[in-house]
Amino acid sequence: MKAFEYSAPSTLEDALKLLSGPDAVALSGGTDLVNRMKDYVTSPARVVYLKDVKPLAGISGDARSGLTLGAGTRLSDIVASAAIRESYPALWQATAEVGSPQIRNMATLGGNLLQRPRCWYYRAGHGLLAMKDGKSLVREGDNRFHAIFMTEGNALFVAPSSLASALAALGSRVTIAGPQGERTILIEDLYQVPRSESDSELALRPGEIVTKVNLPAAAGKSASYEARHKEAQDWPIVLAAVNLTLNGETVSSARIYLAGVAPIPWKCTAAEKAIAGKQLTLQIADEVGEAATSGAAPLSMNAYKVPLVKTTVKRALLAAIGNRYWEA
Amino acid sequence: MASWPRNPRLIGTRIPRLDGMAKATGKAKYPSDILPAKMLFGAILASPHAHAKIQSIDVKAAESIPGVKAVYVQAKAGSTLRFQGDFIAAAAATSEELARDAVRAIKIEYEILPHVVTEEQAMAPGAPAIVRGGNVRPGRAVIRGIPDSKLAEIEKIVTALPRNQQETRRKQEVEKVFDELFARSDAVVEATYSVPVITHVCLEPHGLTARWDGPDKLTVWASTQAVQVVANELAGEFEIPSANVTVLTDYMGGGFGSKFGADVWGVVAARLARQANAPVRLFLDRSLEHLAAGNRPSATGKVKIGASKDGRVTGLLAETHGTGGTGGAGFPFPYVYDIPVSSRSHSDVFVNGGAQRAMRAPGHPQACAIMEAALDDLADKLGMDPLELRLKNLDPNDFHTPIYKGEIAMAAELIGWREKRKPRGMNGTGPIRHGMGMAMHQWGGGGTQDKKVSCTISPDGTVELKSATQDIGTGARTIMAIIAAEILGLKPTDIVSNIGNSTFPPGQPSGGSTTTPSMSPPTYDAATRARDALFKHLAKVLNVKPEQLSVKDGSVLVEGQASLFWKDACRKLGTASIAETGGFQEGLASVGVGDCQFAEVRVDTETGKVKLLKLVAIQDSGLILDKLTWESQVYGGVIGGINYGLFEERIMDPITGVMLNADMEQYRLAGAADIPEIIVRAYEPDEQKARGVIGVGEPPTISTAAAIGNAVANALGVRVPHWPMSPRNVLMALSAAKKEGRA
Repeated sequence: MKAFEYSAPSTLEDALKLLSGPDAVALSGGTDLVNRMKDYVTSPARVVYLKDVKPLAGISGDARSGLTLGAGTRLSDIVASAAIRESYPALWQATAEVGSPQIRNMATLGGNLLQRPRCWYYRAGHGLLAMKDGKSLVREGDNRFHAIFMTEGNALFVAPSSLASALAALGSRVTIAGPQGERTILIEDLYQVPRSESDSELALRPGEIVTKVNLPAAAGKSASYEARHKEAQDWPIVLAAVNLTLNGETVSSARIYLAGVAPIPWKCTAAEKAIAGKQLTLQIADEVGEAATSGAAPLSMNAYKVPLVKTTVKRALLAAIGNRYWEA
Repeated sequence: MASWPRNPRLIGTRIPRLDGMAKATGKAKYPSDILPAKMLFGAILASPHAHAKIQSIDVKAAESIPGVKAVYVQAKAGSTLRFQGDFIAAAAATSEELARDAVRAIKIEYEILPHVVTEEQAMAPGAPAIVRGGNVRPGRAVIRGIPDSKLAEIEKIVTALPRNQQETRRKQEVEKVFDELFARSDAVVEATYSVPVITHVCLEPHGLTARWDGPDKLTVWASTQAVQVVANELAGEFEIPSANVTVLTDYMGGGFGSKFGADVWGVVAARLARQANAPVRLFLDRSLEHLAAGNRPSATGKVKIGASKDGRVTGLLAETHGTGGTGGAGFPFPYVYDIPVSSRSHSDVFVNGGAQRAMRAPGHPQACAIMEAALDDLADKLGMDPLELRLKNLDPNDFHTPIYKGEIAMAAELIGWREKRKPRGMNGTGPIRHGMGMAMHQWGGGGTQDKKVSCTISPDGTVELKSATQDIGTGARTIMAIIAAEILGLKPTDIVSNIGNSTFPPGQPSGGSTTTPSMSPPTYDAATRARDALFKHLAKVLNVKPEQLSVKDGSVLVEGQASLFWKDACRKLGTASIAETGGFQEGLASVGVGDCQFAEVRVDTETGKVKLLKLVAIQDSGLILDKLTWESQVYGGVIGGINYGLFEERIMDPITGVMLNADMEQYRLAGAADIPEIIVRAYEPDEQKARGVIGVGEPPTISTAAAIGNAVANALGVRVPHWPMSPRNVLMALSAAKKEGRA
């Protein structure tokens, strides 16, 4: 990696000041950033270590009024939280399946949300859009792990954070601090589709960091389900997260988000419509899963992800009401 | 003829490896852990391109970085680079970071040449030829079982034609023979199966640390499977006496066939050390491990196989190809079974990828996957239990056939084949299907006859064995100690087993499952000679005949009565140690093993995920010296096979020509949670023990992936023809079957 200036401030104010310099990046668990630096994908002039900024870490509040998770909260702390396990199972499940115990002990919530895409062309230094001689390397090359939605554009990587989709299904907001002060946005608005190589997939302005995530009061039933290759440490191929508002046994409304299928956390509007007003049965879950695939336009090597969309949506829906038929 | 003790105390029991604790606690220092005083760190510059010519190279900027002590350029202007990872240059500096900065500062202008990195690209019409003679090197068909008269008839027709038409016509004529044969068969399967290129992924990377101890005296700590090969290569490269090169490998973190030589980086490390006048450590990084340190070639088999109603195979027609990058990709085929009529033609396909190297049973896992898949599909077509089909096609004239039959019976019993296995299509209609499969393999595992071991008994009672072999994780050090302890009436922990030093008596390179069968006889011989020499000396002192002496439980016995403790007996040597060298002894080792493995799986048809439930491996390997290290070998082989079966795949990018998963994140390997229950059993009735020692490192990795593939086909009722059994390959096979109305 390239040599860089390093600092470890202990207050948010100092951290923001240090981050306002050119080419400065925030370091927390380091499970993504350090690898990018070693591979020369990211070569910052200044690294600002945030672990000593104590107010950034920790979980507060309760499920009745809503939880606040500091951006510096380690994933292992989320997994250890009884409140999250009981009241926000979509988040708990998605977090518990990230990486390995070693990674969850280091990685933080903020770092997970702001990690950069795992697209192998991006990681090989070809940029987010990976265009070469006017052609998309992803479209022409090996795209088995790439997007199946929004593929008409050139941003064909998939948003890497499974937590972002779970948090979006739960209706979470993120608080961002920066040189211009603090702002709070819906978590899905943290992500954007880059139109050119100079755009970022993250809607952060220069010098801004995520400071916390707010989960609304727990309402309804949530779950996430991920399809992956390995049991041990692996990425989800596709993950679905759902949060159902129930009226008796009828689903009055649902929020359904996918990871692993689009350059942003993918909102399954068709599936949300298909489930509204229905009683959740195996048959209905199957139909809603099918609906979730509408609009999928796979690339040359990733059509296999389409049935995974159907399966993960179906299973997340059923898991939310305690039906884990695939484990029978 | 020598023979092993009939009623051994130690041999065949479960003895923990002598260095197990040191390895588990980190006390054991591997070659890459050795940091001699004043050592410099090396870094490598390798080709970022799949195919390019170096136009110019400028190291000035690199050399001028403070802390950079030496830069060595291997590839000159005009050199052609044939794969991403091809060695260009290296630098040595006071820190690893500076060394990396140095190689990045080397300025190179490349002329990019067209590349082919996949077999599809290499074989496409009009593909740029990356080697002289073309990317595809077809071999002539190997034909067995067609009568000579018929072959002569074909040759007569063929030779009458112009030369350029002969090969095509020959092929057509041979196919005609098979058409007739298959027309008479009751069932015929025609299918294409393939396994991808995988890499060795040694946890300790390739490399060495070199230190010059004088102008013509070199010491290196190398992660190698062959200390003496490395020593001889370095001696040759620097034109110094090989006795002046000491290669040390006390421990090593995995080689699997890829670490037999000094390699270009090893030679360059010594050059940098000479240039900088300081020791230099040069080991590959993870990415170069994948790119440049060897791989197991891919294999694709287009197979047509027929059988009669009773399950006897009638014939096999196969066209196979594979790529070993810039190296060949051969494998034995047909495999294991007695196939009465067969024709097999094979093509090596060359691509811009790192050259293949031997990898744990070279060629066999590929052969096994293709052969066993075809046989399994044939059994399904015949409506026959695939186990029965296999029994019917073992070679009645092969000495190993009764052994196979015994092993199959054991494995079937252990996995519950008769009770639990159902034919394809009968494993449920829900999303989760259950399946069972089996596969068989063969291997040599014999030793060489020219290796030596010295055994020294010192007056203080120390027993030291020495040989220039090395322990690549198989337990070689422990095995040698067990043998000496057995003969000297001591405990294995009483023996100092000194190996991993090239200056010791000639020892076996650790490859081909040959280490134990090569090293056991000379160890036995050396210990026996040393014991006899001790007896001869003691006989004089005690005024008895040497024949009256024996050893047991740490004592020397006279006429069966304990007389002296071992240490007291050795003290009687005075000041002179006993030093004996042992060599090959007929009758202690043998060759030729087989095995069968059975797999039980659960396949989720909605996610394509294969969950292994159980694997059973029954292996024969003659006399087993240490049950514990033997089982470790089989477990390790099976786990390697699980990776091959479920996870591993080198992914090359056709556009940029680079490997897309040259890491341990996108190159998938099983974690603990992916490992099922593995049942390992030795097949060792008395007649097996009587065969003597046979190596076991390679065979148990051969048939695992094949058995898993067959279990998946059994579960789904659909063949997944391409390994690994990944969600993608499983879902694609299911989707294709659905489209064709097969599922």
